[in-house]
Amino acid sequence: MIQPRLSLKRNREMSSTDPPTEQEQGPQAPEPRAEESSGSGAANGAGRAKKSAGHQVSITDLHAYYGATEAVKGIGIEFPPNEVTAIIGPSGCGKSTMVRCINRMHEEIPGARAEGRVLLDDQDLYAPEIDVTAVRRLIGMVFQKPNPFPTMSIFDNVASGLRLTGNRGENLRERVHKSLRAVGLWGEVKNRLESPGIGLSGGQQQRLCIARTIAVEPEVILMDEPCSALDPIATLKVEELIDELKEQYTIVIVTHNMQQAARVADSTVFMLDGQVVEHAPTSELFTMPKDERTERYVTGKFG
Amino acid sequence: MQETRSNYRETLKALERQTLEALDMVVQALDRALEAISYQDVELAGMVVADDDRIDGRYLEVHQGILSLLALQTPVAIDLRIVAALLHVIRHAERMGDQCVNIAKLIPLSGYEAPKDKDLLDAIERMGQLARSQVSQAKQAFAERNSDLAYDLLRQDTEINQLNVAIFNRALAIGDDIETREWAMHMILVARCLERIGDNAVDIGEQTAFVVTGLFREFADASHPG
Repeated sequence: MIQPRLSLKRNREMSSTDPPTEQEQGPQAPEPRAEESSGSGAANGAGRAKKSAGHQVSITDLHAYYGATEAVKGIGIEFPPNEVTAIIGPSGCGKSTMVRCINRMHEEIPGARAEGRVLLDDQDLYAPEIDVTAVRRLIGMVFQKPNPFPTMSIFDNVASGLRLTGNRGENLRERVHKSLRAVGLWGEVKNRLESPGIGLSGGQQQRLCIARTIAVEPEVILMDEPCSALDPIATLKVEELIDELKEQYTIVIVTHNMQQAARVADSTVFMLDGQVVEHAPTSELFTMPKDERTERYVTGKFG
Repeated sequence: MQETRSNYRETLKALERQTLEALDMVVQALDRALEAISYQDVELAGMVVADDDRIDGRYLEVHQGILSLLALQTPVAIDLRIVAALLHVIRHAERMGDQCVNIAKLIPLSGYEAPKDKDLLDAIERMGQLARSQVSQAKQAFAERNSDLAYDLLRQDTEINQLNVAIFNRALAIGDDIETREWAMHMILVARCLERIGDNAVDIGEQTAFVVTGLFREFADASHPG
């Protein structure tokens, strides 16, 4: 069965003048930064009428492997629309792997594979007819280290994905400005849009990357430790941004900082050894966790 | 899974120890206040008043320690519940210490040779024993995280409340002698203080149940007696 929404997006992309080859190379490279290729199917500036109509991600019996090693051992999680879900757990518990399975980036690593079901609303993202590029366009990703395209200006960083889907001229400019405003960067960069993106501070770079991600209007945003390379003030700005973005997007954030999970997430998932130990409303998980292992982890009784 | 944050764990344990020791100080103050009543010992009553500074000092110490712990260690989960409960417990201890002072301050008002009524005094002594046992039991229940023992405080509190009413009625019927009536009025006030101490002990029991279950509920609601 061909999924209507995804196939629709693929058709639009095909009809655009630019062949998407360059764009497709991005996500297939094993490097995490490859995410940026996310061009948009919503080629017309008006976009879909999806504001605040969120999309749900559901994972069922997901297994992920690196060669013979099973990193994710059959987990199920629901990520409700317009909510921030935080994933916490010790290093190596499989949280990043799980998140990278959601937009099918995991399989790009040589020897890596995933089994199970990942649904975006009711579309199976692992169905054979699904266009992987379309998946990554609908599910944007922000990484630990800010990774603006080093040779591009601030403007071009945000515009790159939009250009790939045929946005030009005033329409392009408008959407770039809108994204920069949405991440609170506009006032800081409006007079130097042509200077290089890597000239910005770390916190600004990360917000630039978030602007680049939302410019193409994804439905879900995955964030893998988005603040771990940022200073406390830049961290708080990104956290505030996350809080605003959830009005429009479903957000999944992997974090080692439990206080950050406590501050930004509606619900929090605790993972251990490739499995979900507990998924609960954040305030509950941090005041009265049900599982002894969660208790021990959040109170710092084991490292 | 090796133990981590050992310094933090030690600090948290020390704070709990300091808080529960404050309850021991309350028991000591209560013993002295009760003895002072039984023997109309004005000097001993004066010591109760003076020694309350120790409980007040302990209150400030624990309060400051908890603020530091919150600021520096951001406790969560059961640790957070313990810390929140300790703030209540130390406050209750401080209040119970004040009640002992209130009792002690009533003693000199009746003079050195106050007339007494045996029935009334017996009831006061019985009430004092119950209050003392409640404070000890509240401490034990908290230290052992024993919510059954905590809930049992309510049973004892019922008896204290009944004695309080009985003392009031006995004082009303005590007769015409003015000095005896004045002493009896003071005993009504003493009974009221003991009754409050019992309430504070029940409140500590509620905190114990909160630490154990994560849910706070009052054992008994005075505005809706059931």
